Amino acid sequence: MRRGMTVAAVLAAAVVVGCSSGATGPEPQGAAASPVKLTGDACDPPRQDGVTLTLAAQGGAYQDALTKAWEEPYTALTGVEWINDGNSSNATVRAQVESGQVTWDVVDVGSDFGLDAHKALLEPLDFGLIPRDEMNPDLRATDYRVPVMTYGTVLAYNTDASTGKTPTGWADFFDPSKIPGKRGVWDYATGGIFEMALLADGVAPADLYPLDLDRAAAKLDAIKDDIVLWGTGAESRELIGSGEVAMSMMWNGRTWGAIHEDNRPVDIQWNQQILSADYFVVPKGSPNREAAMRFIAWAVCAANNGALSKYIPYGPTNVNSEPDAAMVDDLAVSHVDDSTAYFDDAYLVDHFDEIDAAWQDWKSR
Amino acid sequence: MRVNRWALLVLPATLFLLAFFVVPLLDMSIRSVTEPPDAGLSNYTRFFEQEANLRVLTNTFWIATLTTLVCLLIGFPFAYLMTAVPGRIAGLLLIAVLLPFWSSLLVRTFAWQVILRDTGLLNSFLMDLGLTREPLPLVRTTTGVIIGMSHILLPFMVLPIWAVLRRIDPEFSRAAANLGASPATAFRRVVLPLSLPGVLAGCLLVFVLALGFYITPALLGGPRDQMISQLIVEQVQRTLDWGFAAAMSVLLMAFTLAILFVASRAVRVQDVFGSAGEE
Repeated sequence: MRRGMTVAAVLAAAVVVGCSSGATGPEPQGAAASPVKLTGDACDPPRQDGVTLTLAAQGGAYQDALTKAWEEPYTALTGVEWINDGNSSNATVRAQVESGQVTWDVVDVGSDFGLDAHKALLEPLDFGLIPRDEMNPDLRATDYRVPVMTYGTVLAYNTDASTGKTPTGWADFFDPSKIPGKRGVWDYATGGIFEMALLADGVAPADLYPLDLDRAAAKLDAIKDDIVLWGTGAESRELIGSGEVAMSMMWNGRTWGAIHEDNRPVDIQWNQQILSADYFVVPKGSPNREAAMRFIAWAVCAANNGALSKYIPYGPTNVNSEPDAAMVDDLAVSHVDDSTAYFDDAYLVDHFDEIDAAWQDWKSR
Repeated sequence: MRVNRWALLVLPATLFLLAFFVVPLLDMSIRSVTEPPDAGLSNYTRFFEQEANLRVLTNTFWIATLTTLVCLLIGFPFAYLMTAVPGRIAGLLLIAVLLPFWSSLLVRTFAWQVILRDTGLLNSFLMDLGLTREPLPLVRTTTGVIIGMSHILLPFMVLPIWAVLRRIDPEFSRAAANLGASPATAFRRVVLPLSLPGVLAGCLLVFVLALGFYITPALLGGPRDQMISQLIVEQVQRTLDWGFAAAMSVLLMAFTLAILFVASRAVRVQDVFGSAGEE
């Protein structure tokens, strides 16, 4: 909120200054009057003084990292100013587009959005500008989204609560006789829990889809009484840090926070992680569509995409981009091997009702 | 014919309710049968086809019932105490009831988590004293949900009961005693029947509010403690299936109205919601 106010104040000042200087000098009256031309290299955008982009993400440490890694350098380079909204949600994108009141230009979304199923809500991205062929193909860019950072859904464990035993993979997560204690699980049908049950049951990462929901539910029964559901990343961090759960499926960034910021006895088993991405999309009817495309192209281009990992353990999606050297061991992309699994996002979205029904059914039984 | 011009004062409130309550409610009801465009009643049949949804619906009413009972068991004696003690102490008790109103629901729910979890305050205390050897399962269970919801909804039980109890003339009890009733009999045959409108008002308020809870069961409950609002939120926020979400909301509203209707047969609703004006 405070940042929003500051940006608004800066903007108001810029308008005043712009008007007065327009009377005395030959400078253009801001880019609103002169639309940005889509020419040149993705890493080398033109000046766009007077343009303000609104970026919606999930707030917190991640939004701060986006600001430091990409927004501030981009402002220095191009003059584009920023309004940040920390309440990104697929529902708000839909509400904005359907009501015709689109205020977001760039939206950070999870892997469950930006697919062909959502094309009525999104602008097709300008892949003449955005280097799609440099994107890690496992992260599934579509015509409407491009991956901007990678993270892993990993097996985290509290080294105190797991009594000195190290889980080696999801099989141990589903075996209370080997490591007793509670297990944290994201309460979201397509967040990975069925995949993890199947990986634990011996299914190879490449053979996960179509999901065998009955087999997964049967595997889940083994730990039904030990499951603690969490709804937000912050909760998972608290659960694993306090030792209330011995192990949790969680996002590696939150685990990193528990280890390095909360100084908790927590570690990550990278084996059998699910590697996924956050994506940038542009809502249909964004008032700054072209400037948004420019920024997205710049953020994912090889020279800039790795910068985010200076501030938060989320790695690059551009295969030519180098992550921050100090953070490299904490990035999910650094631990990719044959055991790594990937979500089949299109399958999960198309079959959501069926998968969700199975999850609700398992939970309520 | 003279129109009371003071009646115009309710106009702003009426317009406000129309614009921000009735219209959206209609919009939602229409959406439940028009999204997807050929929906018809398919969103409704879909709800009843999945057994899990019915279990969640049943659970919603079950948790609301338990919460109402717990609030009544704590709230009635508390309200009675407020009428029995001197004014200054009654004021302190009133502040104690109102205090939760002034802090966020989310904060209170997290506070309960800190107190009730396995490594939390209460369990550490009990285990340090040697009273229990294993942590009691107070959180991620129905018990946790009931504790959290009762705490949040208690003021809605205490205040209506207290409002009715304080208007009961103490002379009635004295008269009953004069006529030979023991204190227990006087309470049972005089105070209790007279307080009934307040009790019913409190129960209805708590029950109806409890039906819509979702943060508290999500944070304090286990996998089996889902309430229907959680399903609705997921459809709205995650899957963007607003037609199905609207259908579930209409169903929740319909069941709630049905219960209010049955309750209105049993008691006069004006006793419950309008008793203040009858003196």
